[in-house]
Amino acid sequence: MVAASTPVAAKGRSPAGPRGAPVRLLLIPAALWYLVFLIAPLVVLAIISLGERATNGGYEPALTLDQYASLATRFTPFTNTIVLAFGGTVMCLLAGYPLAYVLATRAGSWKTVLMALIVIPLWTSFLIRTYAWMFILGSNGVPRLLESVGIDVQLLNTPFAVLLGIVYNYLPLMALPIYVSLERLDRSFLEASRDLGAGQVATFRQITLPLSAPGVISGCLLVFLPVMGEYLIPVLLGGGKTYFLGNALADLFLQSRNWPFGSALATAFVLFVLVVVGLYTWLARRLTAPGREGGVL
Amino acid sequence: MTERRDTGLDPHEVTRLAIERRLSRRQFLAATGATMATAALAACAPPASSTAASQAPAASSGGGASAPAASAPAASAALGDTMTLATWPNYHNPDVIKAFEQQSGVKVNLTVFGSTEEMEAKIRAGNSGIDVVVPSNYAVEGWVADKLIQAIDYARLPGFKREDWNARFMDQAFDKGNTHTLPKNWGTTGIAYRSNKVTDDIKSWKQFFEIAGTKYAGKTVIVDHQISSIGSAAVGMGYSLNTIDPTEMAAIEKMLSALKPKLYAISSDVQPPLRNEDSWLTIAWTGDGVQVARDNADARYVVAEDGGELWIDSYSIANDAPHVAAAYAFLDYILTPTNAALETTFCLFPHANDKVTALLDPAIRDNAIIYPSPERLAKLEYAVNATYNSPLRAETWARIKASA
Repeated sequence: MVAASTPVAAKGRSPAGPRGAPVRLLLIPAALWYLVFLIAPLVVLAIISLGERATNGGYEPALTLDQYASLATRFTPFTNTIVLAFGGTVMCLLAGYPLAYVLATRAGSWKTVLMALIVIPLWTSFLIRTYAWMFILGSNGVPRLLESVGIDVQLLNTPFAVLLGIVYNYLPLMALPIYVSLERLDRSFLEASRDLGAGQVATFRQITLPLSAPGVISGCLLVFLPVMGEYLIPVLLGGGKTYFLGNALADLFLQSRNWPFGSALATAFVLFVLVVVGLYTWLARRLTAPGREGGVL
Repeated sequence: MTERRDTGLDPHEVTRLAIERRLSRRQFLAATGATMATAALAACAPPASSTAASQAPAASSGGGASAPAASAPAASAALGDTMTLATWPNYHNPDVIKAFEQQSGVKVNLTVFGSTEEMEAKIRAGNSGIDVVVPSNYAVEGWVADKLIQAIDYARLPGFKREDWNARFMDQAFDKGNTHTLPKNWGTTGIAYRSNKVTDDIKSWKQFFEIAGTKYAGKTVIVDHQISSIGSAAVGMGYSLNTIDPTEMAAIEKMLSALKPKLYAISSDVQPPLRNEDSWLTIAWTGDGVQVARDNADARYVVAEDGGELWIDSYSIANDAPHVAAAYAFLDYILTPTNAALETTFCLFPHANDKVTALLDPAIRDNAIIYPSPERLAKLEYAVNATYNSPLRAETWARIKASA
């Protein structure tokens, strides 16, 4: 690795000029990190996905696309995941934007405290926070209160509970990036807008919203992608009745011990996510960059 | 810890201990999000002063044995100084492990799993460092075929006496002649319910699945394990627990898919909802039955009269075990009846060795949930490897869980 990179570095047009070789050397840890923790597992995943399930489970080397041919059998968990991930992202946005807006513009001296209230729950385990919701939504929690006013409803183990769990757990990932872009918003734009006769709504629509778009975009990605891989929330709050891709994958590797099919599903999932991210960034660029005064940053 | 040494274990005491000590294995599975976790047993071990020897006479009062160590492997360099035991949560008596460690000089590392499937994922990947592993019966045949576990050399288990063991649990089809495994504890898959809510006198799986979707819609739980859930449904419909017949499987799928929207949950963590009456009726394993029934006077655990699952978790030695000598020393020690009785008193699952059962406190031995009547046991079936391994079973279960 070292020997190979040195001559390349010498020819490189690194800004460091003659000191390019040491800089390249410094890049080696990062390159190794990518190779070992990112590329290698994906390659292994792809290889296993081309194999066959051994008689007693696990993996047997082969070169077949059979596993990919049966991907359609997991279409329902796929659509379940997409629908709830999309719904969860939209809900996070609807709840997270006003939250971030208040934090950035109206919180005043409360800002630090309110910020801490958002961040501190992240210090406790995701599992424990989700478990807590099992008690809140279980029959001795909120439903008992509702019962006293004559409403009989089951909350736990419903798609609603899953959605709630998603919004609760992922809200900070939406609110924080939006907060950052609103925080940096130049107030003189808002004053100029007012001076030119725009009302509050017009100012928000034409100034605040476009300028906070980068935060919205990264917030949406930060929520949508992990929710796509969610396993725990459907198990704990959905009572195992809402079946996500993550649950289908866990079942394939554990209960079915069908590693090749599990790998094929995971590979397909990674490819799908790449396409989503690609499309999304393309769309985001078109929306925020050209022809818009202020642009991005 | 100390109260466990009192001679007369009253039933409520047993329950309390069970609840305190034994987070159910399924709860554990859920809690770890189906990833394995490692627990240091030392954390719940008693203070150094309480040796296993001092507590043995109490817990094994029935037999009057006096020390936990019948065969003492002399501490020797040949054993090495460490070994790894892959097992279930709260399955082992810390005092017994500690006594073994003191006597042999071998430190036991405990790796805890929520399911046989997780143990298999780890051990199949290879190089796991696991020496002794405790799979359920249905996995054993495949593990032997794939050389994941090694044959037991009985010459290295001087304390083992075949004649003491109960024929119902030995020499079974999954491991003829017990060439690779020896039972740790066994149990049943039954029906648990709250009799203050469920007015029916539940006797069979047929009845369970009939009332689950009608009278008790929204209040019933089935476990997230195809062997137990599809298997029990099969029994209720008059098929074998182990059916993989396509026509029968199609009928089961139709029934369970129709039932699914009316279920409270498909979850192996059956205790919490049953305890606070979110669910009234559930498929459950022995451990869940013991704990919930002893803690709630109205809770019942029934082994169905039309059949169902009987299971055994068995000790086996991993094929690539790094510490084989220590593994044998451990098995010889822990299978000694006095020690096995201490283990059973702790985990409250029944034991397959009659000598061990005889040593148990009557409160445990005569508990019908732990030791069901021979008549009820007679109709139960072991899940076989073909059931565990069947793609049809796996895909059917995935379709049921994904169905709306």
